[in-house]
Amino acid sequence: MRLSPWKSYLFLVPALVYVGVFGVYPLAYNFLLSLKDVTLITYIGGTSQWTGFANYVETLQDPVFQRTLTNTLIFTGLSLLFQFIIGFLLALLFNRSFPLKGLLQSLIMVPWVLPIIVSGSFFRWFFSDRGMVNGFLLSWGLIEKPIPWITSQQWPIFSVTMANIWLGIPFNFVLLYTGLRGIPLELFESADIDGANWWQRVFFITIPLLRPVIITTLTLGCIFTVKVFDLVWIITQGGPGDVSHLLSTLSYSLAFNKFHFGRASAVLVIMLVLITGLTMLLNSIRAEEEGSLG
Amino acid sequence: MAKKKRRKEWTWTLIALIPTVLIIMPLYFIAIGGFQTVAEIFHRPPYWFPPHPTLAFYKSALVTLAPYLKNSLIIALGNLVLTLAVALPSAFALAKFRLKWGKATFFLLAFSQMLPATAVIIPLFLIFNNFALINNYLSAILGIGIFTIPFATIILRAYMQAIPTGLVEAAFIDGASLLHVFRSIIIPLSSPAIATAGILTLIMGWGDFIVSLSFLKDQAMQPMSIGLYNFIGQYGVQWNKLMAGSMIFAVPPLVVALLAGKSIVAGLTAGAFKE
Repeated sequence: MRLSPWKSYLFLVPALVYVGVFGVYPLAYNFLLSLKDVTLITYIGGTSQWTGFANYVETLQDPVFQRTLTNTLIFTGLSLLFQFIIGFLLALLFNRSFPLKGLLQSLIMVPWVLPIIVSGSFFRWFFSDRGMVNGFLLSWGLIEKPIPWITSQQWPIFSVTMANIWLGIPFNFVLLYTGLRGIPLELFESADIDGANWWQRVFFITIPLLRPVIITTLTLGCIFTVKVFDLVWIITQGGPGDVSHLLSTLSYSLAFNKFHFGRASAVLVIMLVLITGLTMLLNSIRAEEEGSLG
Repeated sequence: MAKKKRRKEWTWTLIALIPTVLIIMPLYFIAIGGFQTVAEIFHRPPYWFPPHPTLAFYKSALVTLAPYLKNSLIIALGNLVLTLAVALPSAFALAKFRLKWGKATFFLLAFSQMLPATAVIIPLFLIFNNFALINNYLSAILGIGIFTIPFATIILRAYMQAIPTGLVEAAFIDGASLLHVFRSIIIPLSSPAIATAGILTLIMGWGDFIVSLSFLKDQAMQPMSIGLYNFIGQYGVQWNKLMAGSMIFAVPPLVVALLAGKSIVAGLTAGAFKE
């Protein structure tokens, strides 16, 4: 548009200032912190020393960090897989008309609008030693003694992953459902007439046509899952010990429980590198996809 | 024939009911948990209905949480005002003008949406601490803004792009100022998107956990989410109060979501399918 272009810049100022001060600046500050020995004492005393990459070296050698990295990969991989499959099946189911559809659709959104402290508290109870899962499994005679879902060495990461899968269903459902609505119904109908069965229709019509939406859903899902914090913090605080940490909860615990801000920042920088890498990788897949289609 | 088709459609309702019930099951168990004693909550096998329902825990949760309510309202509403004040003008500029900095700003906004909360909160904690902002509502409002502002801007921009540019140009030719166009054309025409973005911002501000947990250490300043977290004490969880309080805390967003189901879905997808 030709008129008043310079004045229109003024409208960008609030967003630029805000994101600059509360987004970019903290990130840069983060990077500085990761190169210093910042603990509560050195921070208050103003005596934090530059230590170069010592925080990174210490982090990468730390067995807790290594376990956390594995946990983050398990958590992200399993969450993405199951959220996607469940969301996709729901989208297929809701892509036809039936009575009360609108109401049921709103109810499926519940995990998304429920405050995280509420769903987190539920899963904390659900998975506790005397909680509902063990309650049902024991009374149905499926197990002999309670499974320590969130109090053992090996189970907690899988328990929080299950909780996160539940949390991610609405997001996958909504994106895939919106995508499905964009596919002309005639395509399914003609395939139906040609004698294609349900599996053939899904695999040879729906999935290929939905590809761009599927890639977007998985990309965003991946980015949102890698950074999950609240849910895990409320259910296990990364414990018992440090066995169920994700990169996000490990950094938080290093900062606010151990007051080791320098090392927390190093973990965050590693996490940011991971997220940026993932975004770039997935974007290049998407670009290739679009290129091959165009 | 029509009757048969109708019956077939109801069959699909029944099929769709199964996953829906499974998904909202946690909410049901939270709701009945608040009517039960701790012994009943942990009864084996778990109760499907509270055997001796009592309102006592809902009452006591309400009493304990009442002081936190004011803080939740201040933070959620303050965040709403901040978010709209920043997101509306920038969405307008990004949607309607080709600016040299436009692409960069949009990229920055999209990028902030990808940021892990902890990556912002840990450095911000130290920065706010320097400015004596810790334990101040402003710290929570500004902190939540980093998640709500990019989200709201992207939703509003997507909607404003669909407003015919001719309308804006005609107003300029008639001599209207930029501010006038923004106030008298863009804002009224975007009201559905403003409602959607506003609702989602309110829900996010109301449900915030990590920002308040990190910045509001003084109990007198904490919102209800942290009030509930305080029920998970160091020496044992007050389960029935936690359940009852959770239900009370969840009602406002649930009511809003059920009333505004469609626009929430629209907002989610506008935020996802950008460009």
